[in-house]
Amino acid sequence: MPSDSTTPPGSLGSKILRRGRRTVLGMDPQGLIKNFFGANSSIAIIVLVLIMVFLLREGAGFLSTYHHELEIYRKAGLEFCDIADTPLKQQQSMASALRRALSMELEPLVKNARERRDAAFLYKRALDEKSAEGAAVFENSLLFTPGEKNQIKSEIAALTPESIDLPPTLQKLAAEFTEKDREAKKTFRAIIEAEEIFEEATEPVAEILDELKTHATETKEAANEFHTLEVGRQQLLGAAASAHGAEKDEFLKEAELSRVDAPDYAARIETILEQRDDLSKALGEYAAAVEEAVKPLQSDGLSPEAAKLIASVQKALPTHLNHIQNAARNLKAWKWDEPVSFWRAVSSFAFGTGWITNSSWQDFYGVVPLLTGSLLISFVALLIATPISVTAAIYTNQFATDREKELIKPVIEFIQAIPSVVLGFIGIAVVGDLIKGVSQWEFLSWIPGFPIQERLNIFNAGCLLAFMAVPTMFSLSEDALNNVPRSYAEASDALGATKLQTVFRVIVPAAISGILSAILLGLGRVIGETMVVLLVAGNRIAIPDFGDGLGVIFQPAHTLTGIIAQELGEVSRGSSHWQALFMVGILLFVISLSVNWCARTIAKRFEHSKA
Amino acid sequence: MKHALTTLLCSLLAATGLQAQSTLRIRGSDTLGAKLIPSLAESFKKTGGKVSFDIAAEGSSTAFTNLAAGTAEIGMSSRKVKADERTLCRSKSIDLNEIELAWDMITVVVNKNNPVADLSKKQIMQIFAGDITDWSEVGGTPGPISVYTRNTSSGTYRDFMTMAMKGREYAKNSQKMAGNEQIAAEVGSNPNGIGYVGYAYAGARGIKVVTIGGDAPNPNAVKDYPLARPVFLYTNGQPAGNTKAFIDFCLSPAGAAIMTKAGFTPLGALK
Repeated sequence: MPSDSTTPPGSLGSKILRRGRRTVLGMDPQGLIKNFFGANSSIAIIVLVLIMVFLLREGAGFLSTYHHELEIYRKAGLEFCDIADTPLKQQQSMASALRRALSMELEPLVKNARERRDAAFLYKRALDEKSAEGAAVFENSLLFTPGEKNQIKSEIAALTPESIDLPPTLQKLAAEFTEKDREAKKTFRAIIEAEEIFEEATEPVAEILDELKTHATETKEAANEFHTLEVGRQQLLGAAASAHGAEKDEFLKEAELSRVDAPDYAARIETILEQRDDLSKALGEYAAAVEEAVKPLQSDGLSPEAAKLIASVQKALPTHLNHIQNAARNLKAWKWDEPVSFWRAVSSFAFGTGWITNSSWQDFYGVVPLLTGSLLISFVALLIATPISVTAAIYTNQFATDREKELIKPVIEFIQAIPSVVLGFIGIAVVGDLIKGVSQWEFLSWIPGFPIQERLNIFNAGCLLAFMAVPTMFSLSEDALNNVPRSYAEASDALGATKLQTVFRVIVPAAISGILSAILLGLGRVIGETMVVLLVAGNRIAIPDFGDGLGVIFQPAHTLTGIIAQELGEVSRGSSHWQALFMVGILLFVISLSVNWCARTIAKRFEHSKA
Repeated sequence: MKHALTTLLCSLLAATGLQAQSTLRIRGSDTLGAKLIPSLAESFKKTGGKVSFDIAAEGSSTAFTNLAAGTAEIGMSSRKVKADERTLCRSKSIDLNEIELAWDMITVVVNKNNPVADLSKKQIMQIFAGDITDWSEVGGTPGPISVYTRNTSSGTYRDFMTMAMKGREYAKNSQKMAGNEQIAAEVGSNPNGIGYVGYAYAGARGIKVVTIGGDAPNPNAVKDYPLARPVFLYTNGQPAGNTKAFIDFCLSPAGAAIMTKAGFTPLGALK
């Protein structure tokens, strides 16, 4: 192009952007810039796909590994032992009820000695906690003579904060109670005997089971060793196939070294099956003994609470005996070589009620306790965060002056900058003790679950998560309110509506789609949070006891995110436990994706109906 | 050219510096790694050992996963290696070598203001397995028992299971805490709490040790205590070089003095 030489040199930008000058890979500079931006936005999508692929690759093997483990569980006879063991575990709760009934009956006889002991201990606790109220109760107590009171006071005053030994008078009071307790127990031989028979009845069954369990565990260990070494051997053989010369010989030699015989399940299970009849017989004898022990128990002349406990034991007995019978029947029908269906692995993950790991017996990966924990905590967090953030957004957007807006918005958004581990510490050190302290106030005792026992619980975690979700929900709701066209408000004003009417009848309904999706995105934020729940939720892997009604939120729980953080560091790569944790990760991913998808759908649907 | 030479020289110097001050990576038990091993490492450095230490204590299981992955020179464990862990190491051609380091006692602790001072071995099993759920069942003030245990990667978690609970599972309503300190803190703040900690932590604020069938933990008669156990170090093959020097130091009289101070019983003091 000859005209070029005559053009004066322009700025750098104009040089780059001048059309038709140079092309790279067949694209002019504008095309390049466009593609560069496009590539950047597609990186996000690629990373998302990579995360999915990674999670699926690590977790995909889980179901087959777990299926394999459950097969060993059956073939080695562990399942057989559990059939007989499970009903025996229920028996413990009945025994516990009997023990409690007994201690209630002993109550009137030992009451004085116990109250004296407890009053002295409570006084010490009150002094430790610096509660003037508790100290006053002791001062006014009629249980002690003034001399004794002074004695206790001077002894406690002489204690240093570090001392663990109890003052002599407190020790004496404790000993007096033990003595009284022993005397009183003579009066209630009937319950005590029933309780003893009850506990001893399991012993013959337990004896046989212990023996079988040892045998089954040995088989299982042999099976696992065989499996691990066999996998390694196959890898070595695979490597040998592609190697040459000395290297090949080396691999083959190593593979030969790790050769172990597969355990002979059929021969080993014989030892267990031989005992089948003995075990059934022992179970039958156990059932008879228990029935014998519980039937003659009289609830006449007992205190109402104890009578209630005894009645509960008597009521639970038929079900228990039924379970024992079922167990005996199942033992007969049990076959070691029946194949385990693949569905069993799926269902015991998705619907299993026990997450038991690093067990000396058998690991189970049931996700239900973790899922309920996560959902309960998120629910509590949303319940607290929604009203706060939505009303704050409405106020800031509609009523606040400009100066207030300048204050409120940055402050709420600043909350996001607090690291979650710091919030976790606050949860342990401040919120936990605060909730516990408040729950002990007398006039609040009507609230279900109060007074609470655990300072680390669902409610505590929910409060902190609510705090973390507020900025997200507030900002998004505020945006939604902001997006309502100005003409809506103006039309409403023109019709003579008051400010409140305009806000609640026109603006909020028009922004409801945005507010709903803000709440859902807040849920997404809450359910994925890890550090706070790990520190504050109390880490109890059990389905919370919904029998407490609303009090359930004051129980500890474990969560999907928490379990990954707590256990992933300890497991060996590729083991079933590792894969199970990745399955939990996939589940979390699916939950988050669907929550986000719901948020988008809601936003879209309402948008159309508005138009 | 000049720059290139300087860079080369610098990196060479750095490399030789690293050579002189090699790192000993120690992974595993929280019972050992929280207090004992760091103080042993500190004294070892003071006596002239030219080693820097990298210690992480997240539970005994991590000792074996790290040894198997080749990311640790020494594994600390408060329990013996499990069969499947030995197999795992064997499959990665790691030859585990076990060194008995000292003895530790697991103490059962309750809140300082709990009137219960003694529990039988059976009662302890029943409490931790969830059969006994109320303090009135063992002669205390009525109230539901809160059970605190270590988390599943802990060696103490498993040792307690075998020694005190005949291998039974923990109660479903037990709460899994990340370390000894946390158990002590929760039991200290909950009048109905019960938990277990290594002997080194038994003096924490707000808790007291319950005797087991009348036996109190006593460093002078460790083997009489029902919940006493040896603690171990594991290496890949026979230790050599810095690893050997450090382990020899741990087992020397100077190391024994530190162990006693940290609440462990050195092998020499066993009766």
